[in-house]
Amino acid sequence: MTEVAGRWGERSGLAVRYLFLIIWLLVSVLPVVVLVMASLKDTALFQSIPQVLSLTGFTLENYERSFRQGNYLFFLRNSMIISFSALFVVLVTCVPMAYGITKLISARARGTLVFMVLSTRFLPYVVLALPMYLFFARIGLSGTLVGVVLAHLAMQMPFIVWLMLGFFAGIPREVEEAAVIDGCSPFEVFWRINIPMVLPGLNAAAILAFIISYNEFLFAFFLAGYNAQPLTVGITRFIGGADVGAQYGVIAAYGSLIILPIILFALVVNRYIVSGLTQGAVKG
Amino acid sequence: MSSRRNFNPWAFILPGAIAGGVVLGVPVVQALWTSLHRLRLYRLHDQVFVGLENYGRLLQDPLFHLSIRSTVVFTVGCTVLSVLAGLMVAAIMSTRGIRGTVMARFFMAFYLVPFVTTQVVVGMLGRLYVWEPEYGLVNYLLNLIAVDGPAWLISRDTAMLATVITNSWRLAPLAILIFYAALATVPEELIESAEVDGAGGLRTFTAIKLPLIRYHIGFVTLIQLTSAFREFDTVFALTGGGPGRATNVLSLLVYNEGISAANLGMANAIAFTMLIIVGILSLVYMRLARLDKVGD
Repeated sequence: MTEVAGRWGERSGLAVRYLFLIIWLLVSVLPVVVLVMASLKDTALFQSIPQVLSLTGFTLENYERSFRQGNYLFFLRNSMIISFSALFVVLVTCVPMAYGITKLISARARGTLVFMVLSTRFLPYVVLALPMYLFFARIGLSGTLVGVVLAHLAMQMPFIVWLMLGFFAGIPREVEEAAVIDGCSPFEVFWRINIPMVLPGLNAAAILAFIISYNEFLFAFFLAGYNAQPLTVGITRFIGGADVGAQYGVIAAYGSLIILPIILFALVVNRYIVSGLTQGAVKG
Repeated sequence: MSSRRNFNPWAFILPGAIAGGVVLGVPVVQALWTSLHRLRLYRLHDQVFVGLENYGRLLQDPLFHLSIRSTVVFTVGCTVLSVLAGLMVAAIMSTRGIRGTVMARFFMAFYLVPFVTTQVVVGMLGRLYVWEPEYGLVNYLLNLIAVDGPAWLISRDTAMLATVITNSWRLAPLAILIFYAALATVPEELIESAEVDGAGGLRTFTAIKLPLIRYHIGFVTLIQLTSAFREFDTVFALTGGGPGRATNVLSLLVYNEGISAANLGMANAIAFTMLIIVGILSLVYMRLARLDKVGD
């Protein structure tokens, strides 16, 4: 009797839990769905939510106008240049740095460096962006892609070094010592032995760095001249522009063109994002 | 060790350390230096040393006080909301019958969507389609249960609440993910023995699981505190600091002061004050949690 009641209780409990998880799923994705659906409708004016979500009245005109008037491809190109250059610079500097830190023999030096990496991780970005604006104006980098990429390096470095520290620390020492005995040079030990072993972690770090750079607005807003502006700044210009005015459908289309590629990408590489974000936070 | 005699880790560290010193160190020093000067945006050659005058004026500026208040409400609000939401979702995701299933993986993949959604688009989406008083999603749903929703972003009383919820929406996935992973490390035997002793699901969670993941709760709290504290993009696109100055958090004040009002000395003083606040915050935390041991 109690067993049956218990099992029934457990099963109805499961249904309630699933209901909660489905509600949270809606909370997570419904705003995005609304935006995308609105982008596919002829909306010079607002429509009610049922109208937006209805499966009739589709049009691609908003997208056409985003490409034509909103200069989408131009800003996309800048976004890609910034994200990939930043990614390259970040990986080239941060990955060897994290590796080197884990190999320091002096625990004191190691602790100091880890502490410095960690304490810069929480820097408010305006503290960097505003003086950079000034500094770049003085050294002639103002408005350029180089300036934006350097700013991204500053933004990403503490996070990526910290992430890679965790991944490198997970490699057993014996593997490496065997390679040293076989006559590998320090660089070969790093490149041929360690990098392949942290490859999943490296992928996670690279994917997160790319997503963060792609989404970034503040630095680009402060530092990029028109020719260097990424999509995130492009859309704010587009909306501010008098020619578009209150055409919400076009704004929705432009917004969708920015977020859909990165959301789809994130869903495909979900596994790496999960491992990257939980690394360091959870051990064992 | 003789086999290591050619190996100097500093060769790997130095390029990154120098780059980091330049891109992180130079701006911070520049911020401090500029904050001690009177400097206007369009007259960069005309820099006058004024010592702590900017800081003195800042402390008496009612707009600064207002911003501090908004920042505290925003930061604490986002942290509390996202950590609680994260705990709740992760707790339910971790229950028997759900953890480890295909459905759990499916849910988790989509729960991460807010985390990767571009902040400025989140702000715009919030303004036009979620919080819009007449046609927005929130008031539509409230209408379904016969509640007349407020004019969220337009009203001073509700703008901060809507802003906090919007930003928490974006912060929650990280909390969910880390708590979910942390809960997986709680030994199954502990949970079973608690259940044998007659503890229900909620009791097991608060008495057994919560204390075991307290380190992770602290860690996530720190991350959320600092990321809400420095948030610019979402608030800028959602409210622009308004209505009035109701959501004008410190990051936006730096922008208002430095770019809009062209007062770079003052703006850098605000920025540097933010740096001091966040420095104290994370130092206190690191002392408490010995976080600098992570990665050893």
